[in-house]
Amino acid sequence: MSLTPTTGTASSSGSLSWRLLAREWRSGELGILLAALVLAVSVVVGVSSFVDRLQSALLSESARFLAADMVVVSRTPIPEEWIDQAEQMTLQTSLGVGFPSMAVADVDHMALVSVKAVSAGYPLRGELLWSDEAYGDILRDGAIPEQGEVWLAPRLFALLGLTTGDTLMVGEASLTVTGAVRGEPDATTAVFGFGPRLLMNTLDIPSTGVVQPGSRVGYRLLLSGNRDRVSEYEAWVSPLLGQGQRLDSVEGSQPRIGDTLDRARGFLLLAGSLAVVLAAAAITLASRRFGERHTQYVAILKSLGAQSHDISRLYATSLGLMGAAGTAMGCLLGWILQEAFIRLLGSLLPVTPGAAGVEPVLIGAVTAMVCILFFAWPPLRRLGEASPLRVLRADIGMHEAQRPQDFLFGGLSIIGLMWWYSGSVAVTLAVVSGLAVVMGLGFLAARGLLSGGRRVGGFAGSIWRVALAGLQRRGRANALQMVIFAMAIMLMLLLSVVRSSLIGQWQAQLPADAPNHFLLNLAPEERPVLEQFFTQRGVAAETLYPMTRGRIFSVNAETLPEWEEAEGEDAPRQREANFTWSDELPTGNMLVAGDWWEPEDTTSWVSLEEDFAAGIGASVGDRLSMRIGADTFDAEVRSIRKVDWQSMRPNFFVVFPRAVLERYPGMYMTSFRLLPTQKPLLNELVRELPTVTVIELDIVIKEMRSVVDQVARALELVLAVILVAGSLVLISGVRSSLDARLKESALMRALGARQRLVLGTLWIEFLVLGGLAGALASVGAEVAAWGLQTRVFDMNWAPTVTIWWLGPTVGAVIVGALGVWSCRRVVRVPPIQLLREV
Amino acid sequence: MITVSQLLKTVPTADGDLDILRGIDLEIAAGTSAAIVGASGSGKSTLLGLLAGMDVATAGEIWLDGERLSDLDENQRARLRADKVGFVFQSFQLLPALTARENVMLPLELAGVTNAGQIAERYLCDVGLESRLEHYPTTLSGGEQQRVAIARAFARQPRILFADEPTGNLDTRTGERVIELLFELNDRADTTLVLVTHDERLAQRCDKRFSMTAGELQSL
Ligand SMILES: Nc1ncnc2c1ncn2[C@@H]1O[C@H](COP(=O)(O)OP(=O)(O)O)[C@@H](O)[C@H]1O
Ligand SMILES: [Mg+2]
Repeated sequence: MSLTPTTGTASSSGSLSWRLLAREWRSGELGILLAALVLAVSVVVGVSSFVDRLQSALLSESARFLAADMVVVSRTPIPEEWIDQAEQMTLQTSLGVGFPSMAVADVDHMALVSVKAVSAGYPLRGELLWSDEAYGDILRDGAIPEQGEVWLAPRLFALLGLTTGDTLMVGEASLTVTGAVRGEPDATTAVFGFGPRLLMNTLDIPSTGVVQPGSRVGYRLLLSGNRDRVSEYEAWVSPLLGQGQRLDSVEGSQPRIGDTLDRARGFLLLAGSLAVVLAAAAITLASRRFGERHTQYVAILKSLGAQSHDISRLYATSLGLMGAAGTAMGCLLGWILQEAFIRLLGSLLPVTPGAAGVEPVLIGAVTAMVCILFFAWPPLRRLGEASPLRVLRADIGMHEAQRPQDFLFGGLSIIGLMWWYSGSVAVTLAVVSGLAVVMGLGFLAARGLLSGGRRVGGFAGSIWRVALAGLQRRGRANALQMVIFAMAIMLMLLLSVVRSSLIGQWQAQLPADAPNHFLLNLAPEERPVLEQFFTQRGVAAETLYPMTRGRIFSVNAETLPEWEEAEGEDAPRQREANFTWSDELPTGNMLVAGDWWEPEDTTSWVSLEEDFAAGIGASVGDRLSMRIGADTFDAEVRSIRKVDWQSMRPNFFVVFPRAVLERYPGMYMTSFRLLPTQKPLLNELVRELPTVTVIELDIVIKEMRSVVDQVARALELVLAVILVAGSLVLISGVRSSLDARLKESALMRALGARQRLVLGTLWIEFLVLGGLAGALASVGAEVAAWGLQTRVFDMNWAPTVTIWWLGPTVGAVIVGALGVWSCRRVVRVPPIQLLREV
Repeated sequence: MITVSQLLKTVPTADGDLDILRGIDLEIAAGTSAAIVGASGSGKSTLLGLLAGMDVATAGEIWLDGERLSDLDENQRARLRADKVGFVFQSFQLLPALTARENVMLPLELAGVTNAGQIAERYLCDVGLESRLEHYPTTLSGGEQQRVAIARAFARQPRILFADEPTGNLDTRTGERVIELLFELNDRADTTLVLVTHDERLAQRCDKRFSMTAGELQSL
């Protein structure tokens, strides 16, 4: 038989790559790398699309506080074609009209009310709460006042001497009272506005005859629907907006809940970008292991005549194919993951999540590319340079697989990804500085370990000596491994710290025993009546705050325009507000400019809330002129305050020294706590003190609680995903050094070491490694937490004591257990078999 | 066929330069066989690595089948190995992920041979492993692994074959069978054989014998 070799064409080397790839695949080596890639991509895609969907869910959650997804606000009637256009774009619409007016029950009973007329469909988002009578049981059946009907704020019943079924006049229209308004989704600041609420139907507006050109009327077109359609409409209508018209969207509404949602979003985005870092770490580890295991392989190929570029092409092709497959699989898996999450938790999340967009897939693909290029490729590219001499001398080492510039480019690209992903420089910087600290300290610690370890080992027992010698022998690999462990642990710690401080803060804002009602407009002579009322019924009342309604009409002698004359919605204009006095900076407030006065100071100072100051265009040092009743006086802005609107305390825009305000007649306000069973007391209260306003915060608090609970649950979920991803990094980290350890341990056993010694050595090695990594992680997490809490989440930073012991403990235990578990074969399998395999 | 003149190899180490080869001169004619014997650590493998173009000499020249190695770059030397050189190692150096057949196919595939599978099977039959074609190296005994390595070395029909202590990891009986095989295939293909060994009897079977002592080579 004679077989002569036939030489193929150039294309055969391409197909050789395929064949080699297919064989490699069978060996399971590529599988590990592929798994890391799939893991990376799927975690990134999964977390980011989960976050995406949650975010859209949270957004629609916050839409409840706008009663719509978007609102066109106008001082003139909304043009017909705007409504037609919205309906053409398949958006839901509902019209609203608001104006101050007099509600008249009879000659003795009339009150200035804040009328709101709504039309069918209101509210498009959220719920309108009402009851049959003043403080009756709350109904949420989606009803609105029918034509000819009105619903009143509970205190109006007492003020006007009405009960359900009576009639009253608004302008020229006679309307029947059929219910009480208990909660409007878009109530916002109206409570401090012109008067108690009167809700009616827009169909009755013409018959009232009060809406005339020039009267102070606000029109609202509520819109809701598909997010894209809403954006389209926004783009369409924005250029058409004229003077006195604006768009309100979900992002800008209700600062109270807005902050909560903002922080939650920040957290979710943070989590997503941490997933990117973890992905890169997992890939680096897997690729290094792959590279190390293939050095000998390449040496053999080279001794058989393969050239460097053949090798490079082989691995480039392999990696390319694998990258494509990994990306596709990762995207699919990630999508399944988040879908499963949503399905699994659908019942827990009362909000309906939006559809997943394409961006997460894009992020996944780009992440995969960056990971392959900067983290997987460098160790493989170096394979091309492996010396064929290894086939003759096994001890010829490879130079360090990754060059400094690989780390540099890789690091920069990861920072870029994080930035792209989180959309926040602050988040990126905080995390990166934490990671930088971990890396810096990590390499220092590795150095210390390398020089100090042997000395300690010298006088310690033999297990310790062997273990520390082992740590030293693999010094460089261990340093990298330790840093990666530390990074993974740090990211997990960081996320849990931030999560619990966010949740803790939310809960602190809504303490269970906090006052849940505000009482406004209490006349000084009514104070004893109220005090007696409360003591008789065992209601605990808080301090009374003085309160005087006033108007700021000029800044530095320049008169501000009135509401109707203001150029745009944001232009400075005259403002009315409740003035108060205080000796000290009110609790929960923070000075952002200027300083506080002495309690006895009689100078005419004033302190303004930040946004209010911006609204009238005033800053520290400016002279303001204001009017209280018929009196006018001047005051100099002494300080600007930041107010925590999330707190349930009475907050004031304008504060004076006691001596300045005390001489003006004022009213008082206070807060108190009622149990649900004590609710009927409110009826008695408004009967006894008909002029006071009671604000039922308990309803708002309940709503906020439910939002916070949901958000907290979402955060927990994402934390769980990241914890899983982090553990996978730890596992691949342990695996990456498995070969060397298995071989050494097998050798030790072959040399007669008892199981106890082998196992003990492994335990010590991994415990030391994990403990050190955990300690580094604590430092890094603290640094990053500081950055995030002070720069991103607007919270106060305090060192988290828990992470200082949690980090090292968790590190040692997890890494130790994982390590020993991965190496369990060492003591189970006969050493000869292990020596043969590796 | 192989000509070496004044070959020096010096490597830097922690305690100064180490001269591994100190002026080697050597001539091996085409189609003949040569044995290099010497104590462990005397520089035999280093010499073999240089001859095969897997490393570069510090000084001196090597001509391999008319080509001066110092004129070739790393890729050209790899090409030369692929075309003309076969190797058998002490520790077999089979790829654990590939079956016996695939291991033998590998150099053929690297050279772009299209009927690699058939050729590999034939050579595996020649070394008596026709029943082990699809076995992985870890399931083969040492002798069987070395026979796969020999099949791999000859399958490319090299002009020159280097063998570095091919029996070093084998027991005497197995080693003898492997040696028989090596010489049999060598005779059949008329290859130039350079053999490094500890085994005097094995050395006796070669046309020429050299002895390496501390980096210096003497003809015996
Ligand atoms: N790259 C190198 N660096 C340091 N020492 C080396 C290197 N290569 C070989 N040696 C040393 O040179 C000597 C010869 O090695 P080698 O050629 O493998 O010997 P042999 O094959 O004869 O046993 C040995 O002492 C070895 O340790
Ligand atoms: Mg040798």
